[in-house]
Amino acid sequence: MAHPDRTAARPFRDLYYVRLVTTGLCFALFGVGGALLGIVVVPILLAVPGNRAARRRRIRRMIRLAFRFFVGFMNQTGGISYSFAGAERLGRPGQLIVANHPSLIDVVLLIAFTPDAGCVVKRAAWRNPAMVIAVSAAGYVPNGPTDLMIERATALLSAGECLIMFPEGTRTVPDHTVHFHRGAASVALRAARVVTPVFIRVEPPSLGKTMRWYQLPNPRAHFALRVGSDIDPVAFRNGPAPIASRALNEHLVALSAAEAAGN
Amino acid sequence: MHDRDAILGELRATMLELFELEPARVTLDARLYDDLEIDSIDAIDLMDRLRRQTGRKIASERFRSVRTVSDLVEAIYQLVNET
Repeated sequence: MAHPDRTAARPFRDLYYVRLVTTGLCFALFGVGGALLGIVVVPILLAVPGNRAARRRRIRRMIRLAFRFFVGFMNQTGGISYSFAGAERLGRPGQLIVANHPSLIDVVLLIAFTPDAGCVVKRAAWRNPAMVIAVSAAGYVPNGPTDLMIERATALLSAGECLIMFPEGTRTVPDHTVHFHRGAASVALRAARVVTPVFIRVEPPSLGKTMRWYQLPNPRAHFALRVGSDIDPVAFRNGPAPIASRALNEHLVALSAAEAAGN
Repeated sequence: MHDRDAILGELRATMLELFELEPARVTLDARLYDDLEIDSIDAIDLMDRLRRQTGRKIASERFRSVRTVSDLVEAIYQLVNET
């Protein structure tokens, strides 16, 4: 006679190991694929004639298509599911996109769906041989030193490009309140034509700061992105800069908290 | 702003306006970050204000080693008294 418990337990266990392997494959694809793109493909693309702006657009497009492919791959292999409401509103000239940062793949998701975007990225990327040529050619902005970050981000927005920033600077620690550094608010006040928040939720939590890659949730994690209403920076551009940037920053934090609480 | 006392006076007024800091707190030995809670973004905004006030181009590097109000007064003093 069959033992119902044993037969029921087996498919779940197999499923976990299968998902473990496909998750491992995703990490490997990102690592190896990324290195190949960064070291081999990017230099080839840069060798094609064109001015700096044309090269920058070309590299950003390559990154976006690669990330878009990777998101599709994770989705098709059952690693993640995702929804992205309002993505068509991203990628406007002078737009500063600010997003919270619950997981490792937030930047991948945002760049995959935002045409021709710059991004403020950890300084370490410029010391990484697989990334340095790509991030430089794409015109990404290192997140430090602070004065240079502000200067470069401001120049980028003033030139009519679109910029992605994560004001938390690092992934949110679960159960900790969200803390936004004022760099994004300061940049917004200096040069943004419009500020657009993007709210990212991961259910159940996955790829977070304190989690191990093999702690796979069941069912697979769902990444829900929602593009919030535009914020007009002009409304905050009054009074001394330190006071104005605190006001805008508090507004962004409040929006993030409201989004988290409202669901 | 040609002597250090005048510079300190101006600085106190500026910090009151920018950071709502009571002048009494802005003592020469006060540390910008630890005592007055002026972070890196505030420092940039302060430098922008100083650039406008002095009419000089100030390179950020000049202020990287500034830690206390006294350091800041000294840096401004050097700046305005350059030919």
